[in-house]
Amino acid sequence: MGAIYKKELKSYFTNMSGAVVIAVMLLVTGLMFRTYNMYYGTLTLHYTISGSWLAFLIVVPILSMRVFAEEKKQRTDQLWMTAPVKLPEVVLGKYLAMVTVYAIPCAVVCIYPLVMLKFGDESLKWDYCCIFGFFLIGAAYLAIGMFISSCTESAIISAILSLLFVLMTQLMSNIFNFISSTTFSSLVFLVVLAAIVGLLVYYMTKNFYVSLGVFGALAVICIIAYKVKSSWFDGRSESIMRIFDFNTHLSDITNGSLSISNLLFFISYIVIGIILTVQSIQKRRWS
Amino acid sequence: MIEVKHLTKTYGDHCAVDDLSFTVEDGQIYGFLGPNGAGKSTTMNIMTGYLAPTSGDVIINGHDILEEPEEAKRTIGYLPEIPPVYTDMTVAEYLRFCAELKKVPRAERKDAVRNAIDELELGEVKNRLIRNLSKGFRQRVGFAQAIIANPETLILDEPTVGLDPKQIIEIRRLIRRLGEKHTVILSSHILSEVSEVCDQVLIINHGKFVACDSPDHLATSEQKQKGSILHVTAQGAKQDVLAALRSVVQVRESDLAEDEEGNTVATIRVPGGSDIRGRVSQALFAKNCVVLSMSVEKASLENIFLELTGSGNGAASVDGDTKKSVGKMASDLVHDELGIQSYTEEGAADDEERAAEDAASEETADASDGVRQNADSIHAQLSGNEKEETSGDVTDGEDKK
Repeated sequence: MGAIYKKELKSYFTNMSGAVVIAVMLLVTGLMFRTYNMYYGTLTLHYTISGSWLAFLIVVPILSMRVFAEEKKQRTDQLWMTAPVKLPEVVLGKYLAMVTVYAIPCAVVCIYPLVMLKFGDESLKWDYCCIFGFFLIGAAYLAIGMFISSCTESAIISAILSLLFVLMTQLMSNIFNFISSTTFSSLVFLVVLAAIVGLLVYYMTKNFYVSLGVFGALAVICIIAYKVKSSWFDGRSESIMRIFDFNTHLSDITNGSLSISNLLFFISYIVIGIILTVQSIQKRRWS
Repeated sequence: MIEVKHLTKTYGDHCAVDDLSFTVEDGQIYGFLGPNGAGKSTTMNIMTGYLAPTSGDVIINGHDILEEPEEAKRTIGYLPEIPPVYTDMTVAEYLRFCAELKKVPRAERKDAVRNAIDELELGEVKNRLIRNLSKGFRQRVGFAQAIIANPETLILDEPTVGLDPKQIIEIRRLIRRLGEKHTVILSSHILSEVSEVCDQVLIINHGKFVACDSPDHLATSEQKQKGSILHVTAQGAKQDVLAALRSVVQVRESDLAEDEEGNTVATIRVPGGSDIRGRVSQALFAKNCVVLSMSVEKASLENIFLELTGSGNGAASVDGDTKKSVGKMASDLVHDELGIQSYTEEGAADDEERAAEDAASEETADASDGVRQNADSIHAQLSGNEKEETSGDVTDGEDKK
């Protein structure tokens, strides 16, 4: 793990990406800090951190797009897949390198509350809670970005997909305001979801009948459940979409509530991202 | 020791490796031969744990590659088809990284890197970015990576691709030297390379095992089946030479030709493995024809290879078809012509003569041997194409089935 970690970290700084990531992060958080805290005189980093999610649109794709896609393309994955290291070690090494690069600007942001101390009393606990939440959400995005990178051979596709993921999860709370939450529309939503699962199965197995079967079975289960107990469908589409709602969890934390559920939300994304990455690379061996 | 048992790998409907079994003994150099798409790279990728087999087992030095991957991988060094180098690192950085990745103890890492750099003569480029290196150097960096942890077994997928003739000779020497302490498996499509370097040849075709034997043994058995070919160049009229040769062996008039200097060149197929050079020489001398050159063409690995893999399913069938043997004869002639041409081109003919004269000096012989091998490989490639065409023409598509 150590070897991979050191090598990856170094490579982020031999090419431009590490510097770009740090620059973008500092630019965005610095602008927000100046606007909200210096200019409007807001007391905490609350708004600064909530507004800084924009940086993820650039930072996450840049850090994660090449991490496995490029190795697959250049066939350098043959090196560590035939070396006496466990695959989870490789994945963790790469992940930690990404998180380390991301942690550098976060560490700089930790100075902001100290600057504000000069101007009056400051709730340092609240501020550092915000910064910790910000670090955690970034780490969760990087884990998912890494998984996306391991699924494709093209860094560009990986970058676009992780950008879309950031955008979707940040705007999710706005999206489900537009979707009606009646029981019937929830049913339609679940059937559409079943179709997406069917498509994914087709993508993985290339077997038309199996994917059609999966879709059919899921759809039938939904419809039967709807007939039997339609009350369960009330607001179901929203609760499913909440799984992808990063923004609400981040604003919970920036409001000062570092609850277990918020922590678990991001930590489970990190764990799932790492496990899926390992599985997606293992799958290549067998396909 | 490496045991491969009933290995099968399918990609969708396509079967890349089909029930392949073989054993690789310790301390020998194995040449892995097969036409393009025979499944060489796939087999090597499975043996090193990069790919998983659809079914079957690979046991490396007592460890199953799927059940104890770390222990198994610790004993192998692998150079894939495309060297797995990170282009944004310098050579020394990359090798240090590889040493750490392959669990070389911290105290020995420096020596391991220095050793690998020395072995592959990478000293002059060790501080350059791999991105800026030529293909040959990248290949050597990839090779250095494979040997850095001093593994018991080396698996090399086409190790000399992209190297210049001098480097090819050096790499072959290195492989032979490594072969004294390590087990080496290398794949190649350059047949002369395999016959020169390897103790054992393993031929596969369409993912199936065809043959495994030493090159000499393969050649001997081929020679017994097919006979050998004798090339004679003599000063003298065609009729005299023909008469002289006929007293020794069956010769057709069409086997004789005249070269541009007026000498008679004969290409004779000698059945069985018997050596008739002495008798031919005496007979020609009796007719006052001076023998300018005479050589026996041993069944080359190339012929064996084509024989074993060329006829469709790859079974080592003995084909007594006259049409086919005429075709083969013609193709041999073409092969020979091209052979001479390529020797001249390479200026290797001189070297060869000198080597013959100066057999005492091992070094000279070795060097010219290398050059000759290189010329050989060029002519193997050239004649490979030509050969297909010729035999196709003469045998009326006999080979195309």
